[in-house]
Amino acid sequence: MTDQAEAGGPVEDYLDRLLLSLSGPPSYVRHTLAEVEAHLHDAVADELAAGRTQADAEQVAVARIGAVHAVTGRTPLFSRPSAAVVRRTALAGSLIGGVALVAYAVSAAISWALSVVRGGEFVAAPFPPGSYTAADCARWLAGDPSTHDCVTAMTRDHIGDIVLQGVATGFLGLVALFAFWLMRQRWQDRGTLTALPVGSAEAVGAILALMVAAVAAGTAVDLETVQRGVGVGQPIAIALAALCAAAFFGLRLYRSVRTTRRIAPA
Amino acid sequence: MKSEKLKGNLDMLLLAVLAAGPGHGYSIITRLRDRSSGAFDLPEGTVYPALHRLETAGLLDSDWDVFAGRRRRLYRLTPAGEEHLAGEAREWRAFSGSVSLVLGN
Repeated sequence: MTDQAEAGGPVEDYLDRLLLSLSGPPSYVRHTLAEVEAHLHDAVADELAAGRTQADAEQVAVARIGAVHAVTGRTPLFSRPSAAVVRRTALAGSLIGGVALVAYAVSAAISWALSVVRGGEFVAAPFPPGSYTAADCARWLAGDPSTHDCVTAMTRDHIGDIVLQGVATGFLGLVALFAFWLMRQRWQDRGTLTALPVGSAEAVGAILALMVAAVAAGTAVDLETVQRGVGVGQPIAIALAALCAAAFFGLRLYRSVRTTRRIAPA
Repeated sequence: MKSEKLKGNLDMLLLAVLAAGPGHGYSIITRLRDRSSGAFDLPEGTVYPALHRLETAGLLDSDWDVFAGRRRRLYRLTPAGEEHLAGEAREWRAFSGSVSLVLGN
């Protein structure tokens, strides 16, 4: 029998949530917390004596005591999420955000490659005549001395913008993925890892990526029909990159579900 | 047992458990479950608002005790609590007897 709850485990997490939910005189908060802590330790000790592991004993003890509002006697209108849920959400957000930003950078690289192969207008539709001034033209031409054609200089400028945005988002995406890696190393506790259903971040990421791919593909078809292919390269690039991101999330989802099934008790 | 029925009579049941001797939260809920042969198996946390309410009403009092190296709040029945329980038990027996008469065998 152990008298200590597992650090970051269900009992500690429950007591954290209870502390955040209790209100009233400080003595009431202290006494209730101490009572419930003793209760949970007694329940864990009983479950350990019945042959459960520490982690399972804590899960059962927390399930038996019921929701936090059962102890406080008040149903909260708005309850603060537990620290474990906040940590797990930060992990999911940094993973999804990081992959999305890197995917955008990949789409920018594909756009650039398409512009080299199929020409600038395939990727960046030029502004309609009359919508830009001679000063705009002079600025685009100054940025690309190798051409004397305003439309070509304009589309090259647009592609340059796409590439620049791609580099910036790619950098931010790598920062987000590095943050994800750091947090993943730091938060290995069971409470954090089980705060959200297994594979939920990957499922959300895959669904979002597929939605982006569908919208971009639809836009590409529309541009192909209406503008005869002018500017169609960028949505095609976005759709391809989004499909890559969806495949990445799908693979992670498959692996996490398979791992969970393998370690789940029969 | 439907939890609403149980919650409606929880105060009386807690007083009855404590009539047998003082106890802390976990032991009270365990005794309640054991004495009902497992029929009264409610979320254990619900016992605390009820105990605090009964104490505020003067039917229980409590003090802190150290048992097995851990501080525990020990509840006991006050004389007012004993009197209240006796009245509640009388009413319950009369009610239950009447219901049994209506239901028949």
